[in-house]
Amino acid sequence: MAMEPAAVGTDDMTTTGWYVYGIVDSDVEVTDAAHGIGDPPAPVDQVVADGVAALVSEIPTGRPLGSVDDLLAHQRLLDAVVTEAPVLPVRFGAVLDSAEAVAAELLEPHDDEFREALDRLRDTSQYVVRARYHEPAVINEVLDENRTARRLREQIAGQPEEATQDLRIQLGELVSQAIEVKRSSDTQAVLELATPLTVATAVRDPSHELDAAHVAVLVSTGDQEKLINALRELARQWADRAEVRLLGPMAPYDFVVAGADAGGG
Amino acid sequence: MTVTQSGSNRGALDRPSGSSLAEVVDTILDKGLVIDAYVRVSLVGIELLTIDARIVVAGVDTYLRFAEAVNRLDIRNDDTKSLPEFLEGAEESGAEKKVKGAARGALGAAGESVRDFLSPQEERRRSHHGDGARRGGDG
Repeated sequence: MAMEPAAVGTDDMTTTGWYVYGIVDSDVEVTDAAHGIGDPPAPVDQVVADGVAALVSEIPTGRPLGSVDDLLAHQRLLDAVVTEAPVLPVRFGAVLDSAEAVAAELLEPHDDEFREALDRLRDTSQYVVRARYHEPAVINEVLDENRTARRLREQIAGQPEEATQDLRIQLGELVSQAIEVKRSSDTQAVLELATPLTVATAVRDPSHELDAAHVAVLVSTGDQEKLINALRELARQWADRAEVRLLGPMAPYDFVVAGADAGGG
Repeated sequence: MTVTQSGSNRGALDRPSGSSLAEVVDTILDKGLVIDAYVRVSLVGIELLTIDARIVVAGVDTYLRFAEAVNRLDIRNDDTKSLPEFLEGAEESGAEKKVKGAARGALGAAGESVRDFLSPQEERRRSHHGDGARRGGDG
């Protein structure tokens, strides 16, 4: 569907819109310490309707959106909120043309769904587990396990680059495919470790060719330490082959998508 | 020296205090409630800087890079290795150490620059004001 530039009105910088960060219970208070998008950072306000509230700040609509600072401001605000109260994070870049529109078009038609989702997310937060292979280690594993790769390596060794282009592409493709297979089994290992300790898990697409696992998990506050300890153990086990990184706590970005477009209700 | 840091020891779970830009992009551009599905929203243009951080679909460049990495490998404790492999490995073992060291340094440096980038504001905010939001009084 096409966007509606008409909502912006005129193109001068003084026209403002309402940037929406997320949805919270209506009793969540925003302090002065909450910084929104903008330079200087805009104060964060709430628009309240029917027991839910949207966290918003005013931005000039003539300003391009999406600088590094904008992205960081969006995530920092939501990640600070989730340590205190449940929040439904809105995907970056949503701007409505007035506070009234936020109430009438976003909150009021969906207040039941939002309240229900907030209840489900109470006392949880999200973490993202990302493991990344050490390249020499994973390639050694592949060579150990794959005869063809070893043979190609021998064929290539000592030959001039120009003469081995095709062989090198073959070898690299083989390595790449073998890493995909490893990724899928290592992702499974992370899921098996995390599932008993978490409310939900969501596998993310790999975002690097050496990713060993990229998984978002939703964890109850009481289980956070258990999860962290289990991942510490995994990091120890994988010390020679992969680095394990844990991001969070953060807002439940990966767990609010389902149901969002079932909006008709 | 900027490469000395405590976060990326092998075998330790890495828990950075903030996300890298690529991680932020993965999270807030890909995930979260999409409200334009059912609300009339006016979206302001989003700059293309976010494209760079996206995943690399494996292609010929990736394959050649992997082949290159194979070529750099040290010889392993591997009883299936042939004599030429063995000799080649002996020759390369010095170079391999350097590669490993350099890779580790780069990882550490990247982690640190992210922290440098993220912490000052974050810490100021935490220490002076507490968190960005707090729960109101009524239950």
